[in-house]
Amino acid sequence: MIVAGIDIGSSTSKAVLMDSDKVLCYSIVTTGAESVKSAQLVLDEALNAVNARRHEISYIVATGYGRVIVPFAQDTVTELTCHARGANWLFPSARTILDMGGQDCKAIRCDEAGRLLNFMMNDKCAAGTGRFLELMARVLGIPLDKLGELSLEAHNDVKINTTCAVFAKSEVTSLVRDGKDKRDVLAGLHSAIAGRVYNMLRGVGIEPDLVITGGIGKNIGVVRKIEERVGMKVLIPEEPQIVGALGAALFARDSSTVKEERNGELDKCQEATLDHS
Amino acid sequence: MVSSTSAKKQLWTTLEVPALRKKYYAESLGKAGGQKVAWCSNGVPSEILDAMDINAVYVENYATVCASKRLSSGFCRAGERAGFSQDVCGYARILMGYLLGGDDVPEAPYGGLAKPDFLVVNSYSCDSRVGWFATMSHTLNIPLYVIDSPYQPLGGCTEVANAVYTESQLEDFVHFLEQQTGTKLDRGKLREKVELARRANDIQVDIYDMRKAVPSPMGAGDAYTVVWPGMYMAGTKECDEFYERLRAEISERIEKKIGIVPEEKFRLLWSGLPLWYNMALLNYFEDFGGVVSIENLYFRYEKSLPSQHEDPLKDMAISSTLRRPYASDIEQRAQLTLEVIREYHVDGVILAYNPSCRMMYILQPELKNILDRHGIPNLSLECDMADERTYSEGQIKTRLDAFIERMLSRRGEGK
Repeated sequence: MIVAGIDIGSSTSKAVLMDSDKVLCYSIVTTGAESVKSAQLVLDEALNAVNARRHEISYIVATGYGRVIVPFAQDTVTELTCHARGANWLFPSARTILDMGGQDCKAIRCDEAGRLLNFMMNDKCAAGTGRFLELMARVLGIPLDKLGELSLEAHNDVKINTTCAVFAKSEVTSLVRDGKDKRDVLAGLHSAIAGRVYNMLRGVGIEPDLVITGGIGKNIGVVRKIEERVGMKVLIPEEPQIVGALGAALFARDSSTVKEERNGELDKCQEATLDHS
Repeated sequence: MVSSTSAKKQLWTTLEVPALRKKYYAESLGKAGGQKVAWCSNGVPSEILDAMDINAVYVENYATVCASKRLSSGFCRAGERAGFSQDVCGYARILMGYLLGGDDVPEAPYGGLAKPDFLVVNSYSCDSRVGWFATMSHTLNIPLYVIDSPYQPLGGCTEVANAVYTESQLEDFVHFLEQQTGTKLDRGKLREKVELARRANDIQVDIYDMRKAVPSPMGAGDAYTVVWPGMYMAGTKECDEFYERLRAEISERIEKKIGIVPEEKFRLLWSGLPLWYNMALLNYFEDFGGVVSIENLYFRYEKSLPSQHEDPLKDMAISSTLRRPYASDIEQRAQLTLEVIREYHVDGVILAYNPSCRMMYILQPELKNILDRHGIPNLSLECDMADERTYSEGQIKTRLDAFIERMLSRRGEGK
């Protein structure tokens, strides 16, 4: 049995393939202008990695903002429910999840089975999201994947007053122009993000363990600042970007199992009917 | 982007409201010139204006009409061009756009509003409304009367003191109207209107009580429509008869166990203002077995007191004093909401978080905190009640879908 979870996010599309008890492989591609093509591409990449074909997949669940446009998915589940399930499967002790993606941040609470209990999302603002950091990386002329490590070298965090992407851009530009060390500016930006997501986490209630998912989970600078804020160590999956797709794959596995059981019962019924005839 | 607008109506009686509303606005426009026209805010007693043969036009309702016809963005933009910030009340921006937008506004619904001779605002429940009416008074160069409704939280000033003050306000208001029209208020005629309005109120209280039934006989999609006659036609026979028919239809639905959905899986309370430009959102849960079975904003929970005084103004003052605290008092709102959740078998709450409604914006978070403390699932939707540009379909649907998954999961169904 192979099942698939596909997460169509605003920045990247992710696919996870699973069999009955383990992850077989995953793939991540940039979400293009046509989300349907991104969905096909990301699934095909994952299938190629394990040398499998589309018809071998018994069930597909789509999630993410583009979940409704995946034409070959049998079901859709929101990314909130999927992140809760995926994070809890990776870390059974997870009760609070912070998903920091391309265009939004979500604070999520789940129970011991990974069921969604409560959530909060940022509204209509890119502050604290991947887009925000992408913009700041461009302004500072630093590769996105180097932001975290560089910020750890900061000596004097610069206080950033705004987390509005547009206003922060001009604030950062003038700070650099005034000769501030880029590492100190970066640390300040990460602090500002941590402060913003902390309010969301407080809104749902922080219960250990806290897991960070989504692309920003790869930024060690943001992670450290959040740890300072919440006063606890956070858990980071090996690949934080695929947790939503993983959750979707787990739901696909549930549905596939139910389908197989139903088919099994149907076969038994048919056999019984044949016996009587 | 808003993909759909109107709520699905399930009751035959509800379908009468659009025609009533259309007739009301047509008559209002037709009367212009023959009667004095008063542009009013909600909370201005139509019985008094009716008794004095004044053509009352409720402009907040007109703003909701504009929003429901998907014209709010055009009027709001015009209001903003006139200098009003996006943070200003959506209703106010629509009306200021209507007044000051010149030719660069959408075609006004129902042919527009009768030109006002004066303005009346009630300070009840909303603070920015008074400033809005003062601005219109200045712009149009016509008089404004402010009925001051004292804000008293529960346990504050006694009701008697409030009633005495409210009565003095109403007396002064009548004096203002008499000056404007040059005629005296016929208190006998007012008494008749008050009695009719009381009967309509009492039938509505019955209807709210009947909505405790499972399955839900009337959802919020109908309820937000049927409040209209009670708010703007109070004191007329037409209004009374409308609610009589509605009560009879609901009674029949309860008897025959006709619900909103075939199998009711969860019941929701809608707290706050609806999104007038997308009322279909109230039906969104129905495909998943969910029903918005009750709402708390226009809730009528107390039958009218029997008439005790010869002067109808005294009775009106007492009634409005007793009814008043809900809209602006967090204690009253919390108590009523928790009571409604219990009595109406509510499983979860949708909190409309309307940024341009200052009163809602400040009160809803505390109501959310109270619900959280009671372990009641709730979801805040941050969208304006009138300005559709604040609505983001993808963001809202993700929240709603996740909330539905949560509701179904609590039943042991779904994810």
